Amino acid sequence: MIAAAATSIKAPYIDWAAFSPIVALICGAVIVLLIGLLPGRRVREQIVPGATVLTLLATLGLTIWQWGENTSIISGALAVDRLSLVLNVVFVATGLVTVVMSLRERATVQAGQGEYYTLLLASLAGMAVLVAAQNLVTLFVGIELLSIPLYVLCASELQREKSLEAGLKYLVIGSVGSATLLFGLSFIYGATGSTDFSGIAAALSSKGETIASNPLMLTGLGMAVVGLGFKAAIAPFHQWTPDVYEGAPSPITSFMSVATKAAAFGIFLRFMDVAVIDEALTWQPLLAALAAITIVVGNVGALAQTSVKRILAWSSVAQGGYLLVGIVVSSAAGLEATLYYLVVYVVMNLAAFSVVVARERETTHGDSLSAFAGLGSKRPILAVPMTIAMLSLAGIPATAGFIGKLNLIGASVDGDYAWLGVLIAIGSAISLAYYLRIVAVMWMPDRRGDSPETDRPHGQPEIIGLAIICSAATIFFGIIPSPIYDLVRGAGESIGLL
Amino acid sequence: MVEILFFIAAIGAIAGAVGVVVLENPFYSVLSLVAHLLSLALLFLLLEAQFVAAVQVVVYAGAVMVLYVFVVSYVGGQNLPIRAVNSPSLRIAAPLFAFCLFVELMIATLGTGLSAISSEGPKLAANYGEPEQIGELLLTKFLLPFEVASFLLLIAAVGAVMLARRRRGLDEPEVPAPLGLLRPAGTGTMAESAGGGFFRKSTASASDDSTSTGRDLG
Repeated sequence: MIAAAATSIKAPYIDWAAFSPIVALICGAVIVLLIGLLPGRRVREQIVPGATVLTLLATLGLTIWQWGENTSIISGALAVDRLSLVLNVVFVATGLVTVVMSLRERATVQAGQGEYYTLLLASLAGMAVLVAAQNLVTLFVGIELLSIPLYVLCASELQREKSLEAGLKYLVIGSVGSATLLFGLSFIYGATGSTDFSGIAAALSSKGETIASNPLMLTGLGMAVVGLGFKAAIAPFHQWTPDVYEGAPSPITSFMSVATKAAAFGIFLRFMDVAVIDEALTWQPLLAALAAITIVVGNVGALAQTSVKRILAWSSVAQGGYLLVGIVVSSAAGLEATLYYLVVYVVMNLAAFSVVVARERETTHGDSLSAFAGLGSKRPILAVPMTIAMLSLAGIPATAGFIGKLNLIGASVDGDYAWLGVLIAIGSAISLAYYLRIVAVMWMPDRRGDSPETDRPHGQPEIIGLAIICSAATIFFGIIPSPIYDLVRGAGESIGLL
Repeated sequence: MVEILFFIAAIGAIAGAVGVVVLENPFYSVLSLVAHLLSLALLFLLLEAQFVAAVQVVVYAGAVMVLYVFVVSYVGGQNLPIRAVNSPSLRIAAPLFAFCLFVELMIATLGTGLSAISSEGPKLAANYGEPEQIGELLLTKFLLPFEVASFLLLIAAVGAVMLARRRRGLDEPEVPAPLGLLRPAGTGTMAESAGGGFFRKSTASASDDSTSTGRDLG
């Protein structure tokens, strides 16, 4: 009996080449964990981050090797196509920046370097699995592999109360989101009888009934959107964002604000545009309402903040609203506009966060606005990148953020959601109030004389280098946007959008 | 017979779930959860999912709940009964939203489930739900999620050890600045959205926690 069963099972074919970027991340995580156990200060402070960087570079190389691939691997669990490959590049770039930011971070010492970087790589592997998932089970496992290391990383500065608070809050809220998502996915499976995205789409079109006439599917879709909304920090499921972003160690905050958002929107795009694309007319108004609420709540919420990390948290909520517009229109143009804005958002947000990390270590004011007072005259090398990042996040012309917003507005007009395009413009106008406030604090002459002492002005060349590189890229892609266009072009077609 | 077992299990599951929330003593809550999980296992059995039912008993009702009981005993939760949040707006809004969710789920399940009530149900193969079939699925269709889940368990263990162990040779914990503890009003913290009274209380208890955490780590 057992022998008969053993012969009857045919193992699925594994396309190792297409699977290789994820294999590299997972193997790298295990190797980094083992290296971290070796004794010696040099091992911890140089070899562990070095091995992490090597892993990320290997992943990047394998991703570029697979460029242009468009296949479904391992019994339809993962899709290796332009969408997942572009986002892999985003994740690896964010991972590299996070490693550099973490080099002098207290959290790495308190958590143990080996564990810290292992969790970082594991979270990246989860993101890579998530954005390639085309099966409800893979989707859920991917989102958990993304989230669980992040809960721990948020609390990794073990001796700072706010870091622990951030980890606990993220754990509780994230678990609520995961549970809602899982509940919704089980309803979707119950309604369609398939866990594959293509199977769900086929079931919906073959039965000849719409989502609206099938309450099980409608409820499942609603709960799945809510669950993904928690992960992507879409209002009204955003309330954890400011507290967690403020409390977590700054490199982790920047990692979350960029990579987690990209991963959540990546799977949002794939699920909506593959599994339930035929029913777009049903869910479009729902997502349009969420996008409108998110843009308004995020921008208004940022106005009263005094901590720069909280401002950036609320701003990331608002930016999530802009990104959602590209999903609402459910066209290839919308998908590429969202993907374009994600790439741009990574560059400009990382520039802003590098300056925040640098200032947090130089002054005793932490991340409050007063830490930036008079920065323009004292440390222009930090003030200029921060100014560029703020202007780009607000969408001023000649920065990359402007082109990104233009694409999103163009896609919304083409998709008959012009009012959302208007809302993006209004939201950007409101956002100027808080972005320019940071710029004003940096460049206005400091009359009150409470600008902070600069303790260690020259101690961290790598962070200043990051800020300069990211802000230079922001300007470069604002003037010459074609490289990013080439990067994202074809992503919509690769998953079958018109 | 099946109908009787179904109603016993269903009532047990609901009563257990209500008990988890209503009972004030955490220890009784945990025991109530055990009753809930055992009833669920019976429901799985009625659905022809023998393997899932066995795993439910062994892993959840057995291993996980023993762990919960240990934690409650060690932490000594009896002295700290769980209190309702002291916020009038939340006291109205929370049941309202829970009721809306309940109605939504009822519409979803009854709206689609009632049509099958007079039918014979699905035709299942004789070996449906046996470990052999589940094992085959885990090695073929769901190979990748299965392997990723095993990696996820490793990472969860690494994270748990990282948070729980005590490290020597670290600096003294920084004394939190008073400004850092009290966030200015109107900045949209989670505590604010859950009611103002909760905010003050949590801040006070948080500063107590910091001293104890510092002692453990030092």
